[in-house]
Amino acid sequence: MRDALTNSMRASHVLALVLLAAGLMFAAFGAVTNDTFYLRLATEALIFGGLALAVDILLGYTGLLSLGQAMFFGLGAYVAAVVLIAIPSFWLAFGAALVAGILTGLIGGFIANRVRGVYFALITFGMAQVVAKVIYNTRSLGASDGLIGVPIVKINFGLFAVSSDNPVGFFLFTMAYVGALYLIAAYILDTPFGRLLIALKANERRVPFLGYHATSARLAAYVLAATIASLSGALYPMLRGFASPELLFFATSGNAVITVITGGAGTLIGAIYGSVLLTVIKSYVGSWTEHHLIVIGILFMLVVIFLPNGLMGVVRPWVEKLLARKTRS
Amino acid sequence: MSGPVLEARELSIRFGGLRAVDNVSFAVERNLVTTVIGPNGAGKSTLFNLISGLARPQHGTVFIEGKPYRNAQPHQMQKAGLARSFQITNLFFDLPVAENLRLAAQVLEPKRLWTMPVSASRRAAEVVEQLLERFGLQDKAGYLAGALSHGEQRRLEIAVALACRPKILLLDEPTQGMSHGDTEHTAGLIRSLTSDVTVLLIEHDIGLVMSISDQVIVMHQGQKLAEGKPAEVRANPAVQTAYFGHA
Amino acid sequence: MIEVLDYLQFVLAPQVVTGLTLGVAVILVALGLTIIFGLLDVINMSHGEFYALGAFMALALSWIGVPFWLLLVLVPLAMLPIGYLVERSLIQRVFNSKDRHVTTLLLTFGFGLVLEEIIKLLFGPNPYKPETPIRGAIEVFGIFIPNYRLFLIVAGGAVIVAVALIVYRTRWGAIVRAAAFDRHMAASLGVPVHRVYAIAFAFGVALAGLAGVLLAPIYSVFPTMGRDFILLAFTVVIVGGMGSIAGAVVAGLFLTQVQAIASLYISPVWSDPIVFGIMVIMLMVRPQGLYGRLGHA
Ligand SMILES: Nc1ncnc2c1ncn2[C@@H]1O[C@H](COP(=O)(O)OP(=O)(O)OP(=O)(O)O)[C@@H](O)[C@H]1O
Ligand SMILES: [Mg+2]
Repeated sequence: MRDALTNSMRASHVLALVLLAAGLMFAAFGAVTNDTFYLRLATEALIFGGLALAVDILLGYTGLLSLGQAMFFGLGAYVAAVVLIAIPSFWLAFGAALVAGILTGLIGGFIANRVRGVYFALITFGMAQVVAKVIYNTRSLGASDGLIGVPIVKINFGLFAVSSDNPVGFFLFTMAYVGALYLIAAYILDTPFGRLLIALKANERRVPFLGYHATSARLAAYVLAATIASLSGALYPMLRGFASPELLFFATSGNAVITVITGGAGTLIGAIYGSVLLTVIKSYVGSWTEHHLIVIGILFMLVVIFLPNGLMGVVRPWVEKLLARKTRS
Repeated sequence: MSGPVLEARELSIRFGGLRAVDNVSFAVERNLVTTVIGPNGAGKSTLFNLISGLARPQHGTVFIEGKPYRNAQPHQMQKAGLARSFQITNLFFDLPVAENLRLAAQVLEPKRLWTMPVSASRRAAEVVEQLLERFGLQDKAGYLAGALSHGEQRRLEIAVALACRPKILLLDEPTQGMSHGDTEHTAGLIRSLTSDVTVLLIEHDIGLVMSISDQVIVMHQGQKLAEGKPAEVRANPAVQTAYFGHA
Repeated sequence: MIEVLDYLQFVLAPQVVTGLTLGVAVILVALGLTIIFGLLDVINMSHGEFYALGAFMALALSWIGVPFWLLLVLVPLAMLPIGYLVERSLIQRVFNSKDRHVTTLLLTFGFGLVLEEIIKLLFGPNPYKPETPIRGAIEVFGIFIPNYRLFLIVAGGAVIVAVALIVYRTRWGAIVRAAAFDRHMAASLGVPVHRVYAIAFAFGVALAGLAGVLLAPIYSVFPTMGRDFILLAFTVVIVGGMGSIAGAVVAGLFLTQVQAIASLYISPVWSDPIVFGIMVIMLMVRPQGLYGRLGHA
């Protein structure tokens, strides 16, 4: 018998496949029509989906609301930008963002995990503010303009290479990259360690009596989320050619939280769906008014009030039932 | 191994001016049921908190199999072989019943399995199956713990504590709020545990205490008032006055 | 010696006065936040937007010729029903959800986004610079203080004292404190808890609006004016102790002085990271802040 939580995760995978199919169709369509704008927009949606993934690991699985996850996303972007400007190697930038994510995650986790509940939300918020302002004031990082002039990179896979200025190629690459982040997160969340995080969310107080050191588990979750955010951010300068302090601001962190809640916290794939959905709304509503935030804000409030489990909270149980029926028969 | 499996020596804690547990010492022999009784507010649950690492004693030491534990945290006490249930049901209410048990059982799995999907943890799955059956929860395995009846939740509360295979099991009023039938059934269960576990129990139902316990400890206003075989304790005049309210 | 005095008079003292002005204003905003948290357990993420709303209301009313003095009364009064409505129609909807802190935080965050965007829609994104209602400056101990700043410090200070008196000395305040201490007990004693919540929320929002009116002539008025300001107010509330009135006052005065002095000796651009750094350190070492929560101390 497969247990209920694994079954839910499989349901997320099914929904991920649906999204993958849609993505491939979109890429084909983009290639045929020679589109750049929408492919770039979709690539950006996926990159921010990676940030939302990190927020969901904390909020949806571990029960920690991070209001400063953009700090790691932005750090990843800056680290990648610095590396790429010096040596335009994707793998070097990737490695640097990975190391930066783990290290800053450890430091941030050490600070943030001293407190619980709302205080955790506020301390993550405060940390991100401090780091954002420091970067904003640092001239060698371009201060308020950010780091500009990140060169085009060739991502070399041995057999073939993808260039970051090829809209279709880079979109497909980003889909694979964020898909890999999703799969890694999904895998980890289905191990005993992942279940421990879920237990922390469900009832933190009982966990130590089962023999677990709750603080270490929470720290590990935080580092994982920081790393995923940082690795997502690393793609940003490759897509847009720059890294700016806005990437670390509260608006970015808040947006990731909106994404997760709207897509469905605790489903992982909801983060990606949410990011795609919000990007679609933004560009659709944005085509007739610049005040699309009114629509997004109202949608978000409606979700918080009426659909606390978000979009995937409605869709996924339905897939779960289908899967459960299939395994039984 | 000889000697008591669990020993508390001079445990004390105060909350402000209140001596919740005041210089309490006792020893528990292997594979017996020892019951702590005493009126409301006597300090029974606080005593459990001191032993299980939830509260830090201002004075005193807990020994498990002769090894001292001072200021140990709950997860360290679990590693030492101790598990506990709670007076106020303390489960993972949003998770399935089976997952509540699995979480407790997986702690014993080897490190290697911690990097694999939970479906690889076969032994934990077996423990879950056994406990579901033993506690009559097979039909409820897929239910969320929060959706169980009160009696079922109380049973699951004990089962979760057992799932990490403790040597010593602390049960804080396991039958609280249960129907008469459920209480009887639970008493039988507890008795049957002693083949491999040592049980320290808090219980209010005197009939149950008398029938189930090998040893009884009476607490009153934070202090240990008496200790002995159930019949001896019942006959103790000090206990009669303090606890049963008449001499 | 003369240089030292000159320095004190022309460099340090004006900076302290600037800090004090900001301090009084930030305390007004922080008081609302802290009362709302202390009583309802709600972190009002839209508080900064209410502050901006107050400033814009004042701006719009002044265009149709309402004198400044009247604005000081009219704007907070107009904010009251808005706050009351938001509490009843939005916050109460999720008040009993499983994780109130997070849910209400998210909801008010969403509301703040919408409110800010509506202001942008009505007034455009660019800043307005209202005229100073009181011109000139006066000399106090050889220090020149713009009259309006002096007025702000005195009037704002009076409001802060009045709020403290209301909460700690009146029957209404006693009800609020009782409800903050134990809402179930208060409810069983016949306190209309839900109305108290809504009124307290409205009251907090009105204070933010008042701060908006008062500060508009000093800083410019623009739709995102609440953002940076609210960060400072949050810091004040956290350092002072979430839900503490005395804490908000002490931390408000302290942090704005830190900011003013840091601007002078280090650089204005570093004053924000320093202040937020204090907030992070405070959360690490003493998350409950300097003072205890409303109704609990
Ligand atoms: N964390 C605490 N802070 C302050 N006082 C406490 C705390 N925990 C327990 N107490 C007090 O210590 C005393 C003993 O409480 P305890 O819960 O141990 O009693 P008990 O014997 O388990 O009672 P019951 O039979 O009602 O469960 C009580 O007066 C209680 O109010
Ligand atoms: Mg008790």
